[in-house]
Amino acid sequence: MSDPSAVKGKPKHVKHYFVDSDQQFEASKMGMWVFLVTEILFFGGLFAAYIVYRSWYPDLYLQASTELDTFWGAVNTAVLIGSSLTVAMSIRSAQLNQIKGLITNLYITISLACVFMVIKFFEYTHKFDKGIFPGEYYTYEGIAHEKANIFFSIYYMMTGLHGIHVIIGIGLMLFLVVKAKKGAFSAEYYTPVEITGLYWHLVDVIWIFLFPLLYLID
Amino acid sequence: MSGHHISSAKFLWAVGSSLFVLTFLTVAVTWFHIPGPWNIIVAIGIAVAKAMIVVAFFMNLWWDSKFNSMLFVMSIIFFLLLIGITLLDTLYRVDPVPSF
Repeated sequence: MSDPSAVKGKPKHVKHYFVDSDQQFEASKMGMWVFLVTEILFFGGLFAAYIVYRSWYPDLYLQASTELDTFWGAVNTAVLIGSSLTVAMSIRSAQLNQIKGLITNLYITISLACVFMVIKFFEYTHKFDKGIFPGEYYTYEGIAHEKANIFFSIYYMMTGLHGIHVIIGIGLMLFLVVKAKKGAFSAEYYTPVEITGLYWHLVDVIWIFLFPLLYLID
Repeated sequence: MSGHHISSAKFLWAVGSSLFVLTFLTVAVTWFHIPGPWNIIVAIGIAVAKAMIVVAFFMNLWWDSKFNSMLFVMSIIFFLLLIGITLLDTLYRVDPVPSF
C-alpha cells in the first residue's frame, strides 16, 4: 500500500488516519462527549456534597440562602441561556459558511460570559465585605446557625468551579475568533466551533441546576 | 450525516425562548411558597426539563448518533449511583459527623 496521506481527494483539514471529513468530525464530537461525561461526574461530586449536607442540615440551607440575591441569580441564568443561544447561532453560521455571522455571534457570547462574571464578581465582593468567606475564614454573624460556614463553603466551591469553567470558555471562544478571522473555519470544517459549543452548553446546564439549588430555597 | 443537522434560526430562538419562560417559571413558583418537599421537586423538575431541552436541541443529541446519547445517559446513571450509595451511608448514621 502507498502512503495513506497521499490519498487524493481528501480535504486539507482531514488527518491521514481518518477516512473522510465526516468520520473525523464524528470522532472529535464523541471525544468531547466523553470529556463532558467526566465533567458531569466532576461537578457530581460537589452536588453529592450539597445533597449530603442538605439532608443533615435542612434549616441551614433555608436560612443561609436568604443571603443570596435571587434577582441577580435569575439575571445570570438568563445571561447564560442567552449565551447558549448565541453559541448555537454561531455554529449555525459556521454550517452555512457565514464566517462574519460566526464571529459576531462569538463576540456576543463572549460579552454575555463577561457580563456573567462581572455580576458574579459583585456578588462575591458583596459577601466578602460582610465576612462571608468559605470554611474557617467565615466571620459573618447574621445567620443564627453554627454550621453557616458549611453552606457558603459549598456555595463558593460550586459557583467557583463553575466560574472557572466560564473563564476557560471565554478563552476558548477568543481562540475561535482568532482562528475564524484567519479563515480556518468553513461549512466543511468547523469542528472546534461545534465542540466548544458543546462545552459551553454544558456550563449552562450546570448553572441551570445551581440556580434553583442555591438561590431559590424557601 | 446526522452530525451535520442545521437548525433554523427560528427553531433556535424558540428553544431559547422556552428556556427563558421556564427560568421565569422556576422563580415564579417560589412566590407561592409550595409546601415541602414539593417545592424541591418542582424546582428540580423544571431544572431537569431545561437541561433536557439544552442537551437535546442545543447540543443536538436529538439528531446525533445514539452512542453519544448513551454516553450522556451513562454519566447520569453513575452520578445517581454516586449519590445513592453516599446517602445510604450518611442518612443512616447514628451520630451525624461530630466535627464538621
